[in-house]
Amino acid sequence: MIRQKGMEETALSQIETFYDVMRRQGITRRSFMKYCSLTAAALGLGPSFVPKIAHAMETKPRTPVIWVHGLECTCCSESFIRSAHPLAKDVVLSMISLDYDDTLMAAAGHQAEAALEDTIKKYKGNYILAVEGNPPLNEDGMFCIVGGKPFVEQLRHAAKDAKAIISWGACASYGCVQAAKPNPTRATPVHKVITDKPIIKVPGCPPIAEVMTGVITYMLTFDRLPELDRQGRPAMFYGQRIHDKCYRRPHFDAGQFVEAWDDENARKGYCLYKMGCKGPTTYNACSTVRWNEGTSFPIQSGHGCIGCSEDGFWDQGSFYNRVTDLTQFGVEKNADQVGLAAAGVVGGGIALHAAVSALKSAQKKTQTSVSKEEA
Amino acid sequence: MTERQLLVGPFNRVEGDLEIKLDIRDGQVAAAHVNSPLFRGFEMMLQGKDPRDALTLTPRICGICSVSQSAAAALALADAAGTQMPEQGALAAAILHGVENLADHVTHFNLFFMPDFARPAYAGRAWHDQAVARFTALDGSAARQTAEARSQLFHIAGLLGGKWPHTLAIQPGGVTRTPDARMRIRIRATLRGFRRYLEETLFGTELESFLPLATPDALEAWDTGDAALFLRIARDLGLHQSGIGPRRYLSYGAYPVAGTRAMAAGVWEGGSVTPFNPADIVEDLSHAWMLGEDAHPQSGQTVPDEDMRDPGYSWCKAPRLGGRIAEVGALARQIVDGHPLARALADEGSVRARIVGRLLEIARTQVLLEQWADALDPSARFMTPSETIKTGTGVGLVEAARGSLGHWLRVEGGRIAGYQIIAPTTWNFSPRDRDGNPGPLEAALVGAVAGPEEDTPLSVQHIVRSFDPCMVCTVH
Repeated sequence: MIRQKGMEETALSQIETFYDVMRRQGITRRSFMKYCSLTAAALGLGPSFVPKIAHAMETKPRTPVIWVHGLECTCCSESFIRSAHPLAKDVVLSMISLDYDDTLMAAAGHQAEAALEDTIKKYKGNYILAVEGNPPLNEDGMFCIVGGKPFVEQLRHAAKDAKAIISWGACASYGCVQAAKPNPTRATPVHKVITDKPIIKVPGCPPIAEVMTGVITYMLTFDRLPELDRQGRPAMFYGQRIHDKCYRRPHFDAGQFVEAWDDENARKGYCLYKMGCKGPTTYNACSTVRWNEGTSFPIQSGHGCIGCSEDGFWDQGSFYNRVTDLTQFGVEKNADQVGLAAAGVVGGGIALHAAVSALKSAQKKTQTSVSKEEA
Repeated sequence: MTERQLLVGPFNRVEGDLEIKLDIRDGQVAAAHVNSPLFRGFEMMLQGKDPRDALTLTPRICGICSVSQSAAAALALADAAGTQMPEQGALAAAILHGVENLADHVTHFNLFFMPDFARPAYAGRAWHDQAVARFTALDGSAARQTAEARSQLFHIAGLLGGKWPHTLAIQPGGVTRTPDARMRIRIRATLRGFRRYLEETLFGTELESFLPLATPDALEAWDTGDAALFLRIARDLGLHQSGIGPRRYLSYGAYPVAGTRAMAAGVWEGGSVTPFNPADIVEDLSHAWMLGEDAHPQSGQTVPDEDMRDPGYSWCKAPRLGGRIAEVGALARQIVDGHPLARALADEGSVRARIVGRLLEIARTQVLLEQWADALDPSARFMTPSETIKTGTGVGLVEAARGSLGHWLRVEGGRIAGYQIIAPTTWNFSPRDRDGNPGPLEAALVGAVAGPEEDTPLSVQHIVRSFDPCMVCTVH
């Protein structure tokens, strides 16, 4: 919503700090410190960073955020507003203030449009533009109209004076399902439309809530973009494959697979690779951070990963076809052969283990860090 | 006589994009044209895909009702293949779906609908301070409690479905996750927590005293919780006389468990229920930017008219039942299913009736979920094998939070040859049909007050939000 108090202020220096905002929200000092240490842990930083995060939040003015929606399903917002630690959600919501967010804000119609304009003017060059969804470019953008104008215009307009852009989810990052063949509306990811701003991709359909709050907290705390991989994703969350940390991984290595839904092997929690699991080719934090406040993740519910944080996941053949080509990772046998070998002889099993370990070191993705510091 | 036209939109606190053209005469809405300005073309993308991919693609129509979409897709595939979920699988699917519907209703009340009463325009009303403290958008105490309670409730979706939104666990033959005894305990504990939240905030006392309310008088006497605050506001603003819908209600029947539907299917009109016949549905394209013939969804097509020619004014097709409009949603479900209070409010058909219908359903769904969780039997089967079909047709009819949702599937040569979806808000926010009859919202807006200073009239916003529209589902 628009904070009326905020609207009257003009200079950035007069804006409240994060800590002020949090205090106003009734968050205790104790909870605040706990949040700082949780954040440090989530970001993979040591305990020595806790006071740094706390200090930054006590002294820095909160960063204004404009959150806009294009072609999308709002699953990113849905994920975001129920992030794990209840405090994280409170803190982040109050921190980023969502100066303009068209799902949750109070205003409507012209009032809402005016709020967007005010925010852009007032925080020129200092706000973060968070984009959920993407612009459709066919027919001059007429498939997604916001306030009488194509969304792509709103996007360009809001991006012009933004400090940086966050592409939330698979839609903004890659196109997602609405870009599936034949892509009727020519849904186009944000980075193909906005080319002159730093863009952080936070893919996933939706992204995990803790990943979203983690990225935003990092940016607000350190006032710079997190380290990105060569696809522009924050390396801290997208540096490993689901498969690398999957709790069912030992079954993959042992050649124990689910063959049909709810069979004996499924009940034993065997590997879902043969049911089409895309965990071996998907970079995301699901198997470590998990979903719904760390409750579970798709593989834990007995359904394979569909690879929703990977570019083009929607057009890779059926979601239930198994990943046929694992050779890029050095696997020379398919899952059936692996299973046979493992079941066959003990010696075979040992050899396989060795092969798997060798393959593990080969799997380490070379991370070209393209961390961009903001001017 | 003064006349003016207003173009209202974008709307906040509705799911997706919405634009409404209002003709205003003497301070009242004389005619409304509802436009759903967001089109993605899911039905076109599904063509040629493996039928099972509908289980993954269609939930992504909507991040708020994704389990509803997934349940409808699973039922359509099961229908085509002649598969039946085992009883326990159906139960687990119903729990997943019920959790989502319950969360949606609670979100609607606390985050989407009630914040309108905290607006400065209502300053000075006796209830305004209370509404501000409780429901100011993002900042009110209710928003915080609701977000927290919802997160907790969705642990159940996490347990049974791995993740929410875009849960994958529901399959034509059942669910992929077999709950174990420990999970059953956690589900029951989570539901106890959610009951506590409902009883402390929304109802102010135990659910069991709200559920038996049978008459508008008994309802008026309700004096606890946020429900009482709403009723007080409704009385003051005359919300029982505002936003009168078509008073013809449709439900496909909710939650297929134990060989029946936990809430009945049917059509209510003029004081009685008649059976619902899916063959009576036709999608009228006369005022949609769509090419082709009016058709039953089993044979329907989606071909957008990229020139957006008149008289089209929306991407939304106009579904009609027996040639006429019907309202869908929680109120419709409770009326068709026979709740006495809902039936007593059927003729009122107002903003208030819709909200009360939702409150009733919140209480009923909580109780149903508790019963279903108690009935989970970890030793039973949760999935039967389902053949992938080469050729055939299937239909999946479910009730999403916002109303009736249908998927119609045609498979040829092992690939999807046709896929049509009619979502709840497609019914409620449909444009005019060939005979010029307005859709349910368009009809409900006629007569709404629009003051000379108002460019986004408050009464219009209350009416629009009383339907809890989901625009991303409407046109998909």
